[in-house]
Amino acid sequence: MSVGLAVLLVVLAILLGIAIRRGGQDIAPAFKRGIEQFAVLVPRMICALIAAGFIADILPSEPISRMLGDGAGIVAIPLAVLVGIIIPAGPVVTFSIAAVFSGAGASDAAVIAFITSWSIFAMHRIFIFEIPLLGLLFLRIRVMSAFALPFLAGFLAIVAR
Amino acid sequence: MDYSFLKDAEWRRSILKAAFGKGFVAFMAFAFAMGLLCFVISGEARFVETLISDWHLIRKMVVRILVALSIAALIWVMMPRDKISALVGNNSGLRGILIALVAGCLTPGGPSSAYALLAVLASGGADVGALIAYITSWSILGMQRILIWDVPFMGFEFSSFRFLISLPLPIVAGLIARTLSRRFKWDLRKPKESDTI
Repeated sequence: MSVGLAVLLVVLAILLGIAIRRGGQDIAPAFKRGIEQFAVLVPRMICALIAAGFIADILPSEPISRMLGDGAGIVAIPLAVLVGIIIPAGPVVTFSIAAVFSGAGASDAAVIAFITSWSIFAMHRIFIFEIPLLGLLFLRIRVMSAFALPFLAGFLAIVAR
Repeated sequence: MDYSFLKDAEWRRSILKAAFGKGFVAFMAFAFAMGLLCFVISGEARFVETLISDWHLIRKMVVRILVALSIAALIWVMMPRDKISALVGNNSGLRGILIALVAGCLTPGGPSSAYALLAVLASGGADVGALIAYITSWSILGMQRILIWDVPFMGFEFSSFRFLISLPLPIVAGLIARTLSRRFKWDLRKPKESDTI
């Protein structure tokens, strides 16, 4: 069992304990809401994860690295942002890809845009934590507020170097 | 204890519709298309390998999501909302956003702890700008991730350069979020039941 799951289970146990001590009348409505959210989320999430696995497999990282090189200039940033959004994996896969990009000649600005884009929009985190815990309104606000940041990071890196 | 909703035919139908409605069909079609593409480009062996690793990932995820949703549902029902909003109020100003920036940078642990904290603060009515600044800071400036992944993979020079470039970004996001939420009068404490993906 991973640390993440252990933390979640401890939090759940504490909350259940509190609910029972308070008389337990909160549990039925919580159960109802839980089922409703699960129905909306899980079938879609399973499809998204399957699609994401295939995307990660067919992503041609070598040609992309060449396109992210210094020669490509301003075009490299939007491409790097796009690749960052569609990578549905944790830090292990993402930072290995970043290292491949960097080694194959991608510019620092492009790699920074890629890492920032993945950090902000990582799909698996949105589906597993953000939508269930915070809801779609929060996701909408966050996407609108943070959408420009990977581009900004890339351009700042170009200016700074 | 009132579990009568479980026998309500109307409610059951709405659950089925939420689970396997139009949105689900679109997601499934997309997964099929990507699978076909993978089969054509990478061949049968890679296709099967990917499918197997997807299966392991899904098994792990479904357990987590089940626990995360139970937590969220309990918090949503039990939260003493007024108490928390008194703590991290709506008038925290730029100082609130800066505190969120530092807190996000220092929060240890993976997404489970960061998002759990965020959920508690959100349902308590904390300022939207501070919430967005916090989670953005945790995502791009989180110390733990930088030390464990960024520095070993990319080197110290690159990581520190990225860190400095990204330092102002959570503040930008926080200020945009605050402006937007004032303009559209969004309230995170009232989640819309009708929301779909």
